[in-house]
Amino acid sequence: MLSEIVFYVNDRKTVFSGNPLTRLIDVLREDLHLTGVKEGCGEGECGACSVIKDGKLVTSCIIPVGAVNGSHIYTIEGIRDTDKGKCLVDAFAEGGAVQCGFCIPGMVMAAYALLEENPTPSEEEIRKGISGNICRCTGYDLIVESIKLASEKGGELWAK
Amino acid sequence: MGEMIYIPTTLEEALRIRKETGAHLLAGGSDIMVQGKRGIGLHPELPYPVMIITSIPELKGITDNGDGTVTIGALTIPSEIASSNIVPWHVRKAAAGMGAIALRNTATIGGNIGNASPKGDLPQPLILLDAEVVLSSESGERRMLLDDFILGAKKTALREDEIIKGVVIPAHSFTYSYYRKIGMRRANAISKLSLSAAAVVKDGEIIDFRASSGAAGPKVIRSREAENILKGHMVAELPELKESFLSAWNDAISPHAMPEYRRHTTRRMLEYFIDEIIRGAEPGIIGED
Amino acid sequence: MPATRIDDRIVRVDAAAKARGEAMYACDYTFPDMLYAYMIRSSIPRGTIDSIDIPKLPDGYYFISAKDIPPEGKNELWMIAKDWRCFADGDVRYVGETIGLLVGPDRNMLRYLSDHIEIKYTEQEPAISIDDAIAVKGGPIVGSDNTLCQLFVEKGRPMEEIFKEADSVFEETFETGFQEHVHLETNAAIATIEDGRYTIYASAQCPFYINKAIAGLLGLQPSDVVVKQTTTGGAFGGKEHFPDVLCGPLLVAEYKIKKPIKLVFDREEDMLYSVKRHPSKITYRTALDKDGNILGIDGLVYYNGGPYLSGTYVVLQRGVFHANGVYNIPNTYVKGIGIATNTFPSDAFRGFGAPQTLFAIETHMEHIAKKFGFDPAEYKSRYFIKKDEETITNGHIIERVMLPEMLEKVAEASDYWRKSKEYETGSGRGIGISFYNHGGAFTGNGEQAIIKAHARLVKTGDRVRIEVGSTEMGQGFQTSLRKIAAATLEIPIENVDYDNPDTSRVPDSGPTAASRSTMIVGRLIQRCGEEMKERWNEGDFSVEKEYEHPEGHPWDQNTFRGDAYLGYGWGCAAVEVEADKLTNEIKVVGIWSCHDIGHAIDELIVHGQVNGGIVQSLGYASMEKMENRKGYFKQSSMSDYVIPTSMEFPKQEWSLVENPYEWGPFGAKGMGELVFNGADAAYIDAVERALGITVHKIPMPPEDIEEALDAE
Repeated sequence: MLSEIVFYVNDRKTVFSGNPLTRLIDVLREDLHLTGVKEGCGEGECGACSVIKDGKLVTSCIIPVGAVNGSHIYTIEGIRDTDKGKCLVDAFAEGGAVQCGFCIPGMVMAAYALLEENPTPSEEEIRKGISGNICRCTGYDLIVESIKLASEKGGELWAK
Repeated sequence: MGEMIYIPTTLEEALRIRKETGAHLLAGGSDIMVQGKRGIGLHPELPYPVMIITSIPELKGITDNGDGTVTIGALTIPSEIASSNIVPWHVRKAAAGMGAIALRNTATIGGNIGNASPKGDLPQPLILLDAEVVLSSESGERRMLLDDFILGAKKTALREDEIIKGVVIPAHSFTYSYYRKIGMRRANAISKLSLSAAAVVKDGEIIDFRASSGAAGPKVIRSREAENILKGHMVAELPELKESFLSAWNDAISPHAMPEYRRHTTRRMLEYFIDEIIRGAEPGIIGED
Repeated sequence: MPATRIDDRIVRVDAAAKARGEAMYACDYTFPDMLYAYMIRSSIPRGTIDSIDIPKLPDGYYFISAKDIPPEGKNELWMIAKDWRCFADGDVRYVGETIGLLVGPDRNMLRYLSDHIEIKYTEQEPAISIDDAIAVKGGPIVGSDNTLCQLFVEKGRPMEEIFKEADSVFEETFETGFQEHVHLETNAAIATIEDGRYTIYASAQCPFYINKAIAGLLGLQPSDVVVKQTTTGGAFGGKEHFPDVLCGPLLVAEYKIKKPIKLVFDREEDMLYSVKRHPSKITYRTALDKDGNILGIDGLVYYNGGPYLSGTYVVLQRGVFHANGVYNIPNTYVKGIGIATNTFPSDAFRGFGAPQTLFAIETHMEHIAKKFGFDPAEYKSRYFIKKDEETITNGHIIERVMLPEMLEKVAEASDYWRKSKEYETGSGRGIGISFYNHGGAFTGNGEQAIIKAHARLVKTGDRVRIEVGSTEMGQGFQTSLRKIAAATLEIPIENVDYDNPDTSRVPDSGPTAASRSTMIVGRLIQRCGEEMKERWNEGDFSVEKEYEHPEGHPWDQNTFRGDAYLGYGWGCAAVEVEADKLTNEIKVVGIWSCHDIGHAIDELIVHGQVNGGIVQSLGYASMEKMENRKGYFKQSSMSDYVIPTSMEFPKQEWSLVENPYEWGPFGAKGMGELVFNGADAAYIDAVERALGITVHKIPMPPEDIEEALDAE
């Protein structure tokens, strides 16, 4: 039986001893002040709170902190200053992917998870890769093109 | 405020807690966290104790049992099922179409079965394949057909001291297979209607014919009576048998008020599948581009 | 750094901070000693409040309601009228009407308290649909017959004469549904006191609307309340007046409690308890000669406004003024009625009343064309209005109308003429086309008579600061406006600053709405810049300008006659679909559009607006179904009210025509709403052709297509 949850957020050890059903998003936003993680729907439908857990894209609003013991979690704050993160942020800016921006940190996380798995995705694969991330502003075309741009500009970066 | 929450780390511990407290199981959390949701900054509250079993290693993974059957551990996530080449096609297809990527990385097959929602994606193809569920408790293991395990909407035969350990899928070799899920949009959608169908045809004879309908009643619909209308007959007889099969299936899916759209669409999809067999389509997947 | 030119491709100024997760939205703010608020709302659509039982409140917890408004204040939110109450008092008129605000430090406790508040009502029969309201079900909600507002316009000869001369009359009624904005950031605001003044942080389009709307609650002047816009995560009209509904109760709470108080809606609250697009019921009776030529159109337009006026009258006006679409119809009479129901008040949503009538007229015209065997595009193009021709409000089109060129571009890109001919009706494949426009800025002389927008440039050394009340909500205005300033001043855009507005520091530039910001405020900044450039060597100084209406374009707001709009954005869209005949699912396989927005200030931003507007419009036509049963919205989450994902629609092909607008900065006109106004009708046209059905409503999910097929 676990009485406290130990996990790693952006490589920093975090110990949690409150209610294990506490939503991961609340721990990230309120306890750790990682406000780049956004709450759009609170039920795993919009992707704004996407983070990477043990290498996989997940929505932090439906994950209880009690389920992340031993996990490594990365949020936008943990990747934005890495080479890959910078590549994505630059491509999103240059490609016109950003409008209101509320969905974008989650979208960047989805793009990150996609390119990690598939460094040179087709348009169709990109669309599939971000299909859990709802954007109300852009109609997605420029997001898709920006991810394509990140794939091209990042090149070797993603193959690593 | 709030019931007890347990986080066991081994199956043994989980079974003990289950027996002692009857705590409900939280596998990935994608259903329970939404059911108990109370808003921003608030942890879900549920009217029963909960056991978070996400990290129990014994319940994970997909195994080829060597006899053609495949076992999928209860905590296996849909993305893993979708990309496994030992999992039967219908199940992979359904797993690949569940929610969106993040959900497919969070939800579990055990949770999807245990939740017993008529709209659940995985029970439908599993029931088509006569999959069995493996139930574990301190007093041992038992197996039963998933079709028998799910009793109705949100109702299962799971005992208070049991945990779903996994699913065993028997071997099949279908001549024709069909799967279709209809959601409210093209991706990231809850199932509005789903259908699997499969047939084994040998020397013009229909050795096996089966179908299952999801979101068409309180539980997944399998109708052996309807299937038997076609089984054992020749493909040449299908044109005359088709109508009675379709009508029997129509009677089997929710006997109560079912929206016309779902009823008609189910009928059209089944008719299409049968027509493809009649016209001697290439063996394999029907209706894939 | 080189000076920025207007046609340079630049990177949006806010993109990196947003992509890095650094931009601060209202929900991201915390203050020392901050309390949380939770809204207590009516749970019935109509009735009287008999009693409100509050559980004993622990220390530091408050229940704020109408009784907390001081004697010098009034329980009203001053939007356009003052009828929307801050707190329900005595009776309730819709599900979700604010009754009170629970405030305290711990959200768990607030939730517990809210679960234990008991409100007893005596229920009355509600009117939910437009038909209920016309039938005055349950007795009138307003006036004697539920009319919130009404108007008519007429052009040409009396319609009685026209109908007498007609060979046939073609009548159709169209219905459009509620649409929810689903801005990804839910509504949120924080009230506090800074430097002794009430201060509101809000996710909002119109900061100056907020202080105007709420100051009277405490008997204050608008300038006594400071509003600071926080980075706004989408709005689409949903944060035009609606933030008043959060900020009003917060201000009253602040008056009592004097600590920072934060109110953030969760998604369910935002779905169930926020304004929506007006549902409509629109009837056209069209007089035709024997060859199918239109002699005249009689229109009756109903918009469901909910129980309070909010923006309904203005939305309805725009609906009526767009009721003839892009066509020169010789004789017209259109009456519009905003009708009161017991549903959540309807309010602004991208397009502001125009999408409903434009969908109806486009589909009606298409039906007439098909009835007489004409290609819809060819038939519609006969009626394209031209420069100097009379509008529905007896004014004139002032600019060159490039619809023929736009049709040509779209037809060529989409191969429309061939496909239109070759795809057989009911074949499962279809292409559809639509034409639309959107009048830029406030109607008539509203910019001059009502808004009187101001804008200011402040020069400090080499840097120039823009001071306007206009907001960035995702549409790209911070970038566009900086670009206009930089290009006018011939300085690098990096030397221009423009922060989220703070009402105590910037002049009121009018609301960020009505596709007016680039056209009106952009032009003001250009004028400021022109003067500043001439005086550049004078050291540090500022230049402020007020809007001036061009001479010779009269408008009478009492009779709705004259030049309703000085410039319109124009659009043409084609949509191609494949219908799955087993499931009636529709797959869009091509989207083509061409727009006239004068001149694009920033093509990349325009590209994003075109894509986003068209996808929203296609969602409106296909999947976005919000039903109201007995006063309760049935869809409460993003899983049952679905909006398009990245998998729904293919990559769009788009183009612009160049048609510089005389009174806009660098020739620019408004475009934010235009791009929403027409793809819905093109989609429905395509679906009708693919399946051989006739459609009179949107949205049309597969279930409704099934019904239409059964009806054929």
